[in-house]
Amino acid sequence: MSERRPDLAALLPALFISLCAAVGLGLDSYPQYVIAVAIISMLVGIALVVLVGLARCITLAAGSIMAIGAYASTLAVARLGVPYLVTLALALLAGGAGGWLIAFPGTRFRGHNLAMVTLVFQSVCIILIREATWLTGGAEGIHVPPPQVFGLAVTSDWSFLILIGGATALMTLLVTIMVRGPFGKNLQAVASNEIAAEAFGVSVRGYLTAAFVVSSAAVAFAGALLAPRVRILDPDSFGVLESIFMLAYPIVGGMHSVWGGLLGGGGLRILPELLRPVADYQELFFAALVILVMMFFPGGLAELIRRGAGLLGPHRERRLKSVAPPRALLEPHAVPVESGHRENELLVVECVDKHFEALHAVDAASLRVPAGAIHGLIGPNGAGKTSLFNIISGFLAADRGRVTLAGTSLLERRPRDRIGLGMTRTFQNVAIFGELSCLDNVIIGLGRNAVMHAVGVSLDHFADGADTQRARQQALAALDSVGLGGHPRSRAGSLSLGDQRRLEIARAIVSNPRLILLDEPVSGVADAEAEELRHLLLRINAERGVAMLVVEHNIPFVARLCRSLSVMGAGRVVAEGEPAHVISLPIVRQLYFGEQVTA
Amino acid sequence: MRTFLVRGSRIFAAALAGIGSVAFVSLAGAQQNGITPSEISIGAIGALTGPLAFIGAPGRDSMSLAFDEINAKGGVCGRKLRLGFEHASSPAESIAAVKKLVEQDKVFILVLASGSTGAAAAADYVRQAGVPTYNLYGSTPIIRNPFAENVFHGAVVPVEVSAAALISMFHDDGYRPKKFGILAGTYAFPQATLKAAQDILRQKGADFAVEQFDIGARDFTSQLVSLQRRGIDSVLVLGSFSEAGFAIKQAREMGLANVRWVVDGSAVSTAIIPILGNADGIRGYYNAPAFPGQTPATREFEARLSKHLGSLPQGRPSVYDLIGYGSGYVVAEAIKATNCELTRANLINAWSNLKDAGPTKLGGLDITFPESYTPTDHQGVYRIGAAIVKGGQWQVYRVIDRP
Amino acid sequence: MLGQLGFVVLAGIKFGVLYALAALGLVVVHKATKTVNFAHGAFAMLGAFASFLMVVSWQWPYWAAYVAIPLVIGLAAAAIELVILRRLRQADMFTVVIATVFLGIAISEGFRLTYNTELLAVPSLFSGPPFILAGVIVTRDTAWVIGGALLTALACIALFGYGRLGRGMRAMAANMRGAQLCGYSVDGVYMLAWFLGGVLAGATGVFIAPVTGVSVDLSIAIITAGFVAGVIGGFDSPRGAIVGGLLLGLAESLSAAYVSSAMKSCISFLLLFLVLMWRPQGLFPERSGRRV
Repeated sequence: MSERRPDLAALLPALFISLCAAVGLGLDSYPQYVIAVAIISMLVGIALVVLVGLARCITLAAGSIMAIGAYASTLAVARLGVPYLVTLALALLAGGAGGWLIAFPGTRFRGHNLAMVTLVFQSVCIILIREATWLTGGAEGIHVPPPQVFGLAVTSDWSFLILIGGATALMTLLVTIMVRGPFGKNLQAVASNEIAAEAFGVSVRGYLTAAFVVSSAAVAFAGALLAPRVRILDPDSFGVLESIFMLAYPIVGGMHSVWGGLLGGGGLRILPELLRPVADYQELFFAALVILVMMFFPGGLAELIRRGAGLLGPHRERRLKSVAPPRALLEPHAVPVESGHRENELLVVECVDKHFEALHAVDAASLRVPAGAIHGLIGPNGAGKTSLFNIISGFLAADRGRVTLAGTSLLERRPRDRIGLGMTRTFQNVAIFGELSCLDNVIIGLGRNAVMHAVGVSLDHFADGADTQRARQQALAALDSVGLGGHPRSRAGSLSLGDQRRLEIARAIVSNPRLILLDEPVSGVADAEAEELRHLLLRINAERGVAMLVVEHNIPFVARLCRSLSVMGAGRVVAEGEPAHVISLPIVRQLYFGEQVTA
Repeated sequence: MRTFLVRGSRIFAAALAGIGSVAFVSLAGAQQNGITPSEISIGAIGALTGPLAFIGAPGRDSMSLAFDEINAKGGVCGRKLRLGFEHASSPAESIAAVKKLVEQDKVFILVLASGSTGAAAAADYVRQAGVPTYNLYGSTPIIRNPFAENVFHGAVVPVEVSAAALISMFHDDGYRPKKFGILAGTYAFPQATLKAAQDILRQKGADFAVEQFDIGARDFTSQLVSLQRRGIDSVLVLGSFSEAGFAIKQAREMGLANVRWVVDGSAVSTAIIPILGNADGIRGYYNAPAFPGQTPATREFEARLSKHLGSLPQGRPSVYDLIGYGSGYVVAEAIKATNCELTRANLINAWSNLKDAGPTKLGGLDITFPESYTPTDHQGVYRIGAAIVKGGQWQVYRVIDRP
Repeated sequence: MLGQLGFVVLAGIKFGVLYALAALGLVVVHKATKTVNFAHGAFAMLGAFASFLMVVSWQWPYWAAYVAIPLVIGLAAAAIELVILRRLRQADMFTVVIATVFLGIAISEGFRLTYNTELLAVPSLFSGPPFILAGVIVTRDTAWVIGGALLTALACIALFGYGRLGRGMRAMAANMRGAQLCGYSVDGVYMLAWFLGGVLAGATGVFIAPVTGVSVDLSIAIITAGFVAGVIGGFDSPRGAIVGGLLLGLAESLSAAYVSSAMKSCISFLLLFLVLMWRPQGLFPERSGRRV
């Protein structure tokens, strides 16, 4: 194995927080208080970056989640005598549960409907807290007892600073490791392109729910840390306006990284202290600041600093050595063979039917793709190719029919199960994850993307362990084989269209599937580039023995790529066979050119 | 090894610089215990913005007017009184403001010109810190309990007293209430008064119903319908002037006549009158002996406040202005009572024995109730005024001594 | 007994119509630009304040307020679209939403700083004896608000549905490139949509001013109610906005009277939640074609 290069940059945010606390210890108690509260807000900012920045989910419920953590901790200490540190864990759980509760209905929606769900949660929570006077003290508030840690009462500002600094640094470290590892990458993939994510085993609902849970747990944890500092908890301190102001943390700080949340949270929390002379104008200033940042500095503070640092000199990307993977990794994915099916028929589509109300989009379509074969699917617009394609890849439900892969029926399965069975696909509108690097795009293609697995592997990623290295090598090999091995760390969105199509192919082959579905792989691509892609596909087919089903409009391309073709017209498969033969058939010519069929 | 650190550490370094500058700013110096040869530093917190600004802003304006007047006459103990007012509304803001005032600016006395939860948090802190604290407007129990030697409560009486006064007003001028209704806001202020009022009514065995509304509510039809259904003839409204105003307006539009309306002190303001058009007959308690405009002293006060501020916003001077002014003088008197041995311990001692403190002793206008303290009772005022709208003007018609 | 129900229903309709007008403003902007304008409430608040200025401070005739203020607010909204939001148009929906949220806050705060009073009372347009309808007392003011606001809403729907302006906006929303090819200008349509949204916001403000008085929290109250009503009705349907607003007003009023007055807003949120779960596209979803 090559040398380990652990992701030490992940330590920096936590280190920074610890340093803030350390610096604070040398100051008076008032600055110590301000720094402690700012550190807590840094954690809130980081948590919100996960949800709002990476997962791109609007939330108006941050205030209520913080209230949940604060009240849970305070009530546990005051009424049940639970030790404070244990209540911090309790707050984590309560917050996570709250996040799950929001996500349960919430992940069904996007955009302003999701905002609505979070608003409902926020409002109902606060109202319930206010009404449950017997438990929470109601609107008047509840007194927060000073925390006891290991038998010592924490009352002085410096002791609070140590407690808060330590706890926050720890939580920050955990979140940062998760964000920088596969969990964070997959989450960004979901936010970038949900359909492509599903196609490669990333459960959209699962990841969005996880984002809510993780984010809410951290925010609630922050609330529990804050409670003893504010001494009195009342529901109005955690209202909708607070939620909105907390949304400003990732916006002003920068939405795409942990540093953004940290800087936004810390900076905006300190702002009122600095604005004391003009306290009247505080909220106006705040709102104006957010708007100006959005208009002129969309990347926030973090982006500003990065660009400023860039002026000091370019930084070189880490050069990754691509190592040829062992032979074993190149063998096609072994799928157990169901009895009763023909050995060499990999994909079998039988009598698939699909109606869109009155439109009969797919009419008893059947086709077969043998193992290792390249099969094309052509037909004029509206013939039903894309619908059939989407049925095979699981994004559309069929009304009737059978689709099996090596004997295993596909129709009842979810799109994201396909990769486990050895089927991947590319998309007509290039569906790469633009925000991630090429390498990360391809690593996702490996398909090992279940939420819990990704979380579990985060530590391995941090330490650059065996799993991570192996995944990286496989991905590099795939990138090499499509000709993109040169800059694996460049942002996928910055590639040319042709290169993006290659990236998609790399992502589709890295898991060594048995079958790749290619949806118009050369649409919009110039002839020379199309030729190169054709050669690439042929080479991949030869080297890896992977079968391909290609939907295309570019007939010459398809004719020279595929060994067999199916032609669809008006929902039906009207012809099948070798390309030269099929193309010359009268019925096919009539479909395309409208020529009369000569007897 | 070098390259991966570069990106993150650049941000790291920049952020450190930011923290460093905050630290630097905060190290800017402070006085010793708020006393210098020429100045006595008084700190205050209150809401200058937001929904509770109608309490904090008048507190600042009128207290600074009082200090200006005192300073013009030479100040106290040969020193000028300097007011440092920090905006604070929520508990988080209040703790930050109070820490800044006490620990950094090192004020001699802390004034709480804040209501509800913010004041409660500050009070919690000062009990620990020991700095002499003067609570002007907070009436909820959570601010006042437990008793603390260094905390003094001024013109605003505890909710038990104000609630009793409110109930007693239903019996003024020979009225005999049969069925009570209480319309209470769900936020902290009214809820505390509601609790106290409910206790009193239950003790009397009176028949009452409670309806509630959210802060800022403008539609009370449902609540009024419910009260009407029960044949209510006496309604206590616990909320701001806007809430009370619209509630009474809608009640009249619904035909709810022959009802005696008594409103909480925060609704006793000139601003309620334009909402109703004709507000005659509405009563409420008032934390001062006379309403602005009712006596020559208050008229003079209005003139001085107007000059001090340049212009008077609608509804000012309010009771919070009167109290702020009077409290400024009480502070001065308490300082004087230390015989100019200006330590915190002496001040607390002197304050705990203050009798009939108020503006008149130092040449100010007589517009507030005098305040008296004992070492075990730090509530300065128990008196409360009963006010009624007559001829389109509020006026205090009765002073209730200790209901 | 029936009379009391009548009062509750009447109050529900009165506020419902105001919510409907607010929701309509949101829907108009959303239909054309696919964004929800969270600063809508602040615009309405400005309209209400302008009403106070005109009627109380400057003593202008009341009808002038109803005519002039919506136009003024409409122009202000179009100006804001031009200056601030045009830059953000390329950004994704999330960015625009947040921008309008903070824009609303900035406007409310700006107002509060210049006119620092808790509440400004605005007199009713009509005074005089109230009507009695089936045992329910209907003040002239209430009748005017309900009638006037409803008429305004219907006029707007007619304009949007059948007029040339409306056609352009709907075309732009359905297919920006196509509409551009047909000669519609993106900039023009967006500004027009914001202008109309602002007109509706101003109208909402003028109608609501005598009912609630002018205060800073009017901004949040209106946007919340308008948004909820819009979601209930379906964000792409003007008719839905009216139905949504009325439903919300009635639900609030009835639940406050017969369930619990303290939990009033809780219940309306739960209603919203139910609608979201049962019919997320709203009660009047726009028929959208399939995207292939």
